Amino acid sequence: MIGLGHYLILASILFAIGLVGVIRRKNLLMLFFATEIMLNAANVAFAAISSYHNDLTGQMFAFFIVAVAASEVAVGLGLLILLYKKYGSLDLDDYTMLKG
Amino acid sequence: MLQAVNVSMASLNLTTLSPMLVAVGGALLILIIDLLKKDMTKSLYVMLSVLILFVDFGAVLSLSINERGLFDLMLIDGISIVSQLIILLASMLFIPLALTQKRFHEYAYPEYFALFLFMVAGFQFMVATDNLILIFIGLETASLALYTMIAMHNTRGSHEAAIKYFTMGAMAAGFYVMGSAVIYGISGTVELSEVSKILLERMSEAGIALPIIGASILLLVAIGFKVSLMPFHMWTPDVYEGSSAPMAGYMSIVPKLAMMVVAIRVLSFYIDIGMEPVRYMVIALAVVTMTFANIMALVQFDVKRMLAYSSISHAGFVMAALALDTTKAYSGIFLYYGLFLFTNLGAFTMLWITRHKQKKYHSRFHHPYEKFAGLIHSAPMGAVIMAIFMLSLTGVPPFSLFWGKMYIISATVDAGYIWLAVIMALNSAIAAYYYLKLVVYMFLKPKPEGVEAIGVNSSRPLIVIVGIAAAVTTFSVFLMEPMLSYINYMVSVSGY
Repeated sequence: MIGLGHYLILASILFAIGLVGVIRRKNLLMLFFATEIMLNAANVAFAAISSYHNDLTGQMFAFFIVAVAASEVAVGLGLLILLYKKYGSLDLDDYTMLKG
Repeated sequence: MLQAVNVSMASLNLTTLSPMLVAVGGALLILIIDLLKKDMTKSLYVMLSVLILFVDFGAVLSLSINERGLFDLMLIDGISIVSQLIILLASMLFIPLALTQKRFHEYAYPEYFALFLFMVAGFQFMVATDNLILIFIGLETASLALYTMIAMHNTRGSHEAAIKYFTMGAMAAGFYVMGSAVIYGISGTVELSEVSKILLERMSEAGIALPIIGASILLLVAIGFKVSLMPFHMWTPDVYEGSSAPMAGYMSIVPKLAMMVVAIRVLSFYIDIGMEPVRYMVIALAVVTMTFANIMALVQFDVKRMLAYSSISHAGFVMAALALDTTKAYSGIFLYYGLFLFTNLGAFTMLWITRHKQKKYHSRFHHPYEKFAGLIHSAPMGAVIMAIFMLSLTGVPPFSLFWGKMYIISATVDAGYIWLAVIMALNSAIAAYYYLKLVVYMFLKPKPEGVEAIGVNSSRPLIVIVGIAAAVTTFSVFLMEPMLSYINYMVSVSGY
């Protein structure tokens, strides 16, 4: 029987994967994927807790997160295309103007 | 058969929503004007934005205190009104900075002004609710608009700045929602006032402390990213350097204040349920932020980067007040930001006035210290005003931030944290070095040969804004009494 605990463990593993991805990845596209994984980890947790509490608030929150994640990708990909046109690369190590 | 849902308009209490509706409606109006008639002059949009913000300001002032509306989502208490007023004041001072001598890319688009108003509405939503969902929506609305506005400056640096801010912001959003998920898991609700009631009952249960502390860490990381506390501050100087000077000044005030209000709501409930470790974490973060940001600011070559580190250090200073959980300390936060607004926006506007397309003084920086050498000879008025802003940031008595600093330090002493007050005072002393360094450059260094006037970007609206900022900074001693009593009243009626 799969219970709340399993879902929460899954959510925390997903969150950890996303966090490691954000910290380690140098490619911007991969970095975006990692942040999406972090948001979706919270979605899993919200949906599971919502069904456990028998309360719809959590699922509502999850829907809002989905919507926000989608708009975030829209803005993010716009910025990404702009940067690719300027630099011809998506590698974070190539963006070296601002540092120190 | 489903029952028809009946909601009476009176129970919705839509007046609580009116300030945000004004901002959103104004943004849509700007978009519609652009659709109907292209190539309108930018001063039309600037004036329209100021007008909309003015109406918005009036709408906030006419709200009655301690009301809820829209299915109890909106919470209009004293701190939400005060913070909305500060946000709108900063926005009204920010938007006329578009009327510059030189032409800049972002102001050619009416969408810039529409995005700006959407962002203001987002921040207003963030401070006027205690529902974790609405806080999240407001935060993301505002942040997504902000990333776009930074990128619209259209220089290499601004694109890099936008992408840096974007990745950090997305990560902070991840932490925020995960923290909310944990809070929802242990309490079954996302309204912070309900959460504290339910948690108070469950405090005695075994093993409940761990998830509560875990949620606080996740939320603190999210808050830390947005307020730029020390271990999470990496993006701040780069983003400030890459974006335009007024944008950087705006970012040092409004997003931080909005997140600070969220932090007040989250942390005060933690302190209410008696989680002392959370308080220690906040104090530790504040001390680290104050101290290390000051040390980093000492070694900067660029005035804008120096101001970026200085605003990190100021955020740490205010964060320390947050941990005290007294009415005086909370009033101190709003007083500090109300004064910091004028000083810091004025300082960044001075940089904006000297903005030149070419980087003549340094291969990378627009505003190195050398640029301001001997300013007293070429532009005495500008030098004096810049010096007023620098002395105010240092905390020299007659100028505005001195009162803010004094009030927060006295609140710290009252709360019994003498050692914290000593650290805060020491940090103000360290900070004097890098602020006065600029004053020394302006007043005592000789003017380099063959350099023309540096106020290339100045125009009447910019000078007016600087004048307002300088006047408030100088004569703040007369404003202290009414401001303090208003803020004190507002904070105490909201129950903090």
